Amino acid sequence: MSTASRLGAPLVAALVAAGSVGALPAAAQDPSVVAPAGDVSFMVFGDPAELVAYQELVTSFEAAQPDIDVELIHIPDQADYRQRLGLDFSAGTPADIVLINYRRYAQFAARGVLEPLGPYLDQSELVGEAEFYPEALEPFRWMGELMCIPQNLSSLVVYYDKALFDAAELPYPTDHWTWEEFLATAKALTLDTDADGRTDQFGLGTEASIFRVAPFIWQNGGELVTLSDRGLPIRLAFDTPAAREAIQWFVDLQVVHHVVPSAVEEAAEDSESRFQNGRTAMFLNSRRGVPTYRQITGFDWDVAALPQHTEQAGILHSDAYCMPASAASKDAAWKFIEYANSAPGQSVIARSGRTVPSLVEVSQSDAFLDPAAKPANSQVFLSSLPTIRAVPVLPGWVDIEELAGEELERAFYGNASVDEAIAEAIARTQVFFGPGE
Amino acid sequence: MLLPFLVGTLLLVGLPAVMSAGLAFTSYDALSPPVYVGFANFRTLAADPLTGIALGNTLFFVLLAVPLRVLGALALALLLSQRRRGVGAYRAAVYLPTVIPDVAFALIWLWVFNPLYGPVNLVLQGLGLPMPGWLADAETAKYPFVVMSLFQIGEGFLVLLVGLRGIPHQTYEAATVDGGSRIQQFRWITLPLLAPWLLLLTFRDVVVAVQYTFTPSVLMTGGDPYYSTLFLPLLIFEEAFDRFRFGLGSALMLSLFLLTAVAFVVVYSVFRWRGYADDI
Amino acid sequence: MTSDRRPGLALGAVLHHLVSVAVAATFLLPLVWVVAASLRQPGLPPARTIEWIPDPVSIGNYAEMFRLLPFERYLLNSLIVVAIAVPLTLVTASMAGFAIAQLEAPLRRRLLVFAVALLMVPISALWLTRYLLFRQVGLVDDLGALIAPALMGSSPLFVLLFYWAFRRVPVEVYETARIEGAGALTVWQRVAMPLAIPTIVAVSILAFLLYWSDFISPTLYLKSPESYTLPVGVRQLQQLDRTNWPLLMAASVLLAAPTVLVFAVIQRQFLRRDGVLD
Repeated sequence: MSTASRLGAPLVAALVAAGSVGALPAAAQDPSVVAPAGDVSFMVFGDPAELVAYQELVTSFEAAQPDIDVELIHIPDQADYRQRLGLDFSAGTPADIVLINYRRYAQFAARGVLEPLGPYLDQSELVGEAEFYPEALEPFRWMGELMCIPQNLSSLVVYYDKALFDAAELPYPTDHWTWEEFLATAKALTLDTDADGRTDQFGLGTEASIFRVAPFIWQNGGELVTLSDRGLPIRLAFDTPAAREAIQWFVDLQVVHHVVPSAVEEAAEDSESRFQNGRTAMFLNSRRGVPTYRQITGFDWDVAALPQHTEQAGILHSDAYCMPASAASKDAAWKFIEYANSAPGQSVIARSGRTVPSLVEVSQSDAFLDPAAKPANSQVFLSSLPTIRAVPVLPGWVDIEELAGEELERAFYGNASVDEAIAEAIARTQVFFGPGE
Repeated sequence: MLLPFLVGTLLLVGLPAVMSAGLAFTSYDALSPPVYVGFANFRTLAADPLTGIALGNTLFFVLLAVPLRVLGALALALLLSQRRRGVGAYRAAVYLPTVIPDVAFALIWLWVFNPLYGPVNLVLQGLGLPMPGWLADAETAKYPFVVMSLFQIGEGFLVLLVGLRGIPHQTYEAATVDGGSRIQQFRWITLPLLAPWLLLLTFRDVVVAVQYTFTPSVLMTGGDPYYSTLFLPLLIFEEAFDRFRFGLGSALMLSLFLLTAVAFVVVYSVFRWRGYADDI
Repeated sequence: MTSDRRPGLALGAVLHHLVSVAVAATFLLPLVWVVAASLRQPGLPPARTIEWIPDPVSIGNYAEMFRLLPFERYLLNSLIVVAIAVPLTLVTASMAGFAIAQLEAPLRRRLLVFAVALLMVPISALWLTRYLLFRQVGLVDDLGALIAPALMGSSPLFVLLFYWAFRRVPVEVYETARIEGAGALTVWQRVAMPLAIPTIVAVSILAFLLYWSDFISPTLYLKSPESYTLPVGVRQLQQLDRTNWPLLMAASVLLAAPTVLVFAVIQRQFLRRDGVLD
């Protein structure tokens, strides 16, 4: 026998023995009993005030689950966040848990890079599907599967500065006011206080985006998109009379009535900054603004429902916890997502003011409705839920919103007629709609 | 000894350039493998109105900024080339804006040209002149970019100072003795002897100008209002990193690179023809 | 004859000074405005007239900046990048420049053409694929990705600057060293570099500027906010409060101050009346 084979046989025998010795304990252990542990990363966007809320959430989670460490990655700006998300996915290194808006997750879901969380939710003992508002869950169902767990479902509301209303001796907005009342109020609050020919105080501030004009289109009985026979969006419907009328009304706020800053004035100081500094009376925003506005001392503000027209409609704002398919420790990541969307977790975030909780129970609790915390009229977020609608969920929606938004902005600042803008918007976005099947 | 430079260049410039050329013929979003599509990207680019707009904006900037910058650098060099008292301080002042980091420089001019609160319009207001919307108005949005580029001509200024230094004093003295006026001296001595430097500077400036607008356009306008400040580098960046159409982005880059390469070959031929290559 | 020309000369000199002062002032004006704007007290409505000196003067914006975002962290990261990249650049660029200077034509000319050609490559042609390359190598979200270009001398311009510096030295100086048995590396270190001090200083400043101001690389290659460098941090600040001009001007001053200071200290060597340029 050669040296090699003389050594070989005992070696092989030793290996086999070692393997079988190792195998026994492994077989005796039940893997499902092992608690998930490890480090997970959690990426969020938001103002510094919102970050504090997420930090509290992480702290309380780590107290409940000491084996899991959560690293919080904070990207202040929404646009940067989108870019970061895309870059991370393309690098194959996204965070283990990412917060994604329902308007933007479809492009990732369509490419199969998200882990469907529906099955995890079904197995959860902490929280069940039935406890969420169905309006919040619905947009996150992709091809029948629930992909992400939403943390909130906010609507668009009108923030208003009570001091400026008082100064103009105007009554505060009611929850059922109309477009006409809204416009009249805005006009009454647009003032040239030092008579220098330049407006010093504006009645209203808003973004000129599709996302802001959509509820007004719906309230006028119009639609955003035309559907195919199968019920799938195939083109923008802005040229229908109802939609066109609503867009014209929205654009007229700046072009005709000047209750909103012009392009030059917006560039000099943006509307949200003006609102926060008491130079604009009303501001259109979702629940997102609350944590930051709460921090401003001496600022007395509240929220009112959007003004209504021939129909009632609100627009859904919702962000969800998603898990990339490439996440390393999926169980640990799920533990965090589960906690964050159970009653204790959602209460922590709700108390910061950031969210309208997606769990029915939490949304009706003091965590959200605390009478001592601004806005006093938080109830309006809940009462608008029956008429809330979502924009279409499409992989190409991000591009559609961006391109149509450029056209709308052009019309809003008086550089194109509404008809021109609508025609361009429809033509340029056509390629991003699917075949409708 | 050359190794780090050559290897580094190969890895950091050569390889990316080749990959870039290859990607131009694919459809690639970095989430799934690239899909070969032949010339489809170029056809899409040709059909997309944004490509033409970006090209036009970039050409506008280059054709306006480069001559002004080169002439400005020449004027400054002529003004400050002599060894007078205090010239060091003036040279430093003129070069100073060039050392300011891009991000800071962009934010500075964003405020300086602010239509309501920026110093430029406040001065115009004080003089009773109309106040343009600058970056908020599609008609005027490109001009702040040109103006800010004029403040960063320090490098060109230095190059031409070096060039002027190369002209011996005796040449000028001889011309004065022969009765040549200052203007004639400039036309027949300075200009021809500076020509190679001016040519080199112009060419380098064209390449710089094409790229120059990137950081300012990101920080100041993002292409707004309505694409009037959408320059080619910004479009390339957006296609690749905002919309994840790496194939399209690469096709655009390849086109840009080819244009630059053609320009290079042309100018190099001029160099060789005029015999300036030996001077390097 | 000469005495007749005196008054003309004097007038010419005065005029020259006036024009020079005016030009210098124009170039400095925006910077003065910026510093003044940064000292405006936070929270006040925007100024309606040009404020040469704010009333009251306040450094509140500088404090606010650090309160909103971890600027100490960003400063540190920028310093780390610069501290490694600049010396590395000096080594690689000077070595390459030296090597080219030692070569004979036509190889020397070919390499020079190559270097000049490299100068013409638009950076935007490289971002994307460099990003994909770094991703493969795992350098994404690592300050190393920002320092990597130093391995190739950071810019062909630096290589060329060293080449010109080394070529100005008479060949005999190198020959002497070589005859005494020194290898290429020793000649570079002991003979060539000490003779190129002005170029070393110039390249140091230019490299410092390059790495300190770099905005695109950190934006693309850095993931976690802890590794952000200062330019990215300033951009973040802008995203947070887009039209808070005093705050943004304070951030700009912070970002620009080091480069301005370094420049102010070094510039005398090059730009003064009897300096290297004259």
